[in-house]
Amino acid sequence: MQKIRPPFVFDENLNSSFLEELFEGDTKYAEAVFEDFLKDLPDYWERVETAYHNRNLPTLGTSVHTCKTLFGYVGFTDLQELCQQFENKCSVNSAEELRVDYILLIQKKERAQHIIEKEYARLRVFNEDQDQVVNLD
Amino acid sequence: MKLSCIIVEDIQIAADFLRKFCEKSDLVEVKGHFLNVTDALEFLDRERVDLLFLDVEMPGANGFDLLDRLTYSPMIILTTSKTEYAFNAFQYHVNDYLKKPFTYKRFIEAIGKLQQPVAEIAPALPAMTVTSSAAAPQTDSEFLFIKADDKLTKIKKDDILFLESMRDYVKFVTSGKNYVTYSTLKNMEEKLNGQTFLKVHRSYIVNLSKIDDIRGNTIYILGNQIPIGKGHKEDLEARLNIL
Repeated sequence: MQKIRPPFVFDENLNSSFLEELFEGDTKYAEAVFEDFLKDLPDYWERVETAYHNRNLPTLGTSVHTCKTLFGYVGFTDLQELCQQFENKCSVNSAEELRVDYILLIQKKERAQHIIEKEYARLRVFNEDQDQVVNLD
Repeated sequence: MKLSCIIVEDIQIAADFLRKFCEKSDLVEVKGHFLNVTDALEFLDRERVDLLFLDVEMPGANGFDLLDRLTYSPMIILTTSKTEYAFNAFQYHVNDYLKKPFTYKRFIEAIGKLQQPVAEIAPALPAMTVTSSAAAPQTDSEFLFIKADDKLTKIKKDDILFLESMRDYVKFVTSGKNYVTYSTLKNMEEKLNGQTFLKVHRSYIVNLSKIDDIRGNTIYILGNQIPIGKGHKEDLEARLNIL
């Protein structure tokens, strides 16, 4: 008798209902996207850091905007909102005024990155197990 | 028949999703993906596509800059994560607006909307043309009023050299003065219908009676150079008294 495998359940910190709709059960594609996220984020984040240290607020806003989009594809809806608020502030505040928000953003980003690293590892294991089940069949 | 499209998007993950959705739908064929406006325009100068998936915020020029420089009018679906662009999207007459990240379901809805206007608008266009060209000379007023600088300014239509689209605004260029009003070129095209005015580019409507000369794809009016869009050249030639 064939075993019915439970579906992959995304981390509670992520918007799982959205991710389920986005990936439609394609966990291999989800793995690829999470891998791309981890690969792309450091480069994009470096632009954020450079812009902040150079006090280049228009570029800072644009760079955070890009990261915001990336966070969306891995289900960080709340972080997207934080990025949006930060992005809006970039056009009205000075770098000094943004300092507290910037530190908060860094903390949230670090935490998000850590969660995605774990999710990526879980997805890999899940997909490898699935491949083994298929091969055994 | 599949719609041909290009993806203009600087975030690879977003572009990959779009490509995947296009392939899955079997309704849209992706002819290319470009990370910036310059590369996309270079391609669009060589090849025509039915549809653009266009991001707004990209390094260098943005998506609306691309629309300003396009020489023909493909269907456009804006893909952005900023809702603030919705109004601009409306002003640019884009067909739909997808907020990133979006699902396959939302993608299919957007493609579905594209097929609707093609069927409905296409047969209506010749009728609109006949009505405007036949009726306009009798019914059109010689003057129009535009709202500029907090007042309504009366302008004689015959004084207008050309109109230029400036995103959410339209610039009226006359021989003496320029006026900028909050409107769209499409709106103005409807109001200025008749024998004299013709849209020659996505961003320009010219007063045909004011043209000094035409060289290649450029119209010269009192020292101003106006580009002729590829999709508009035939219309222009048909309206000119060429001997």
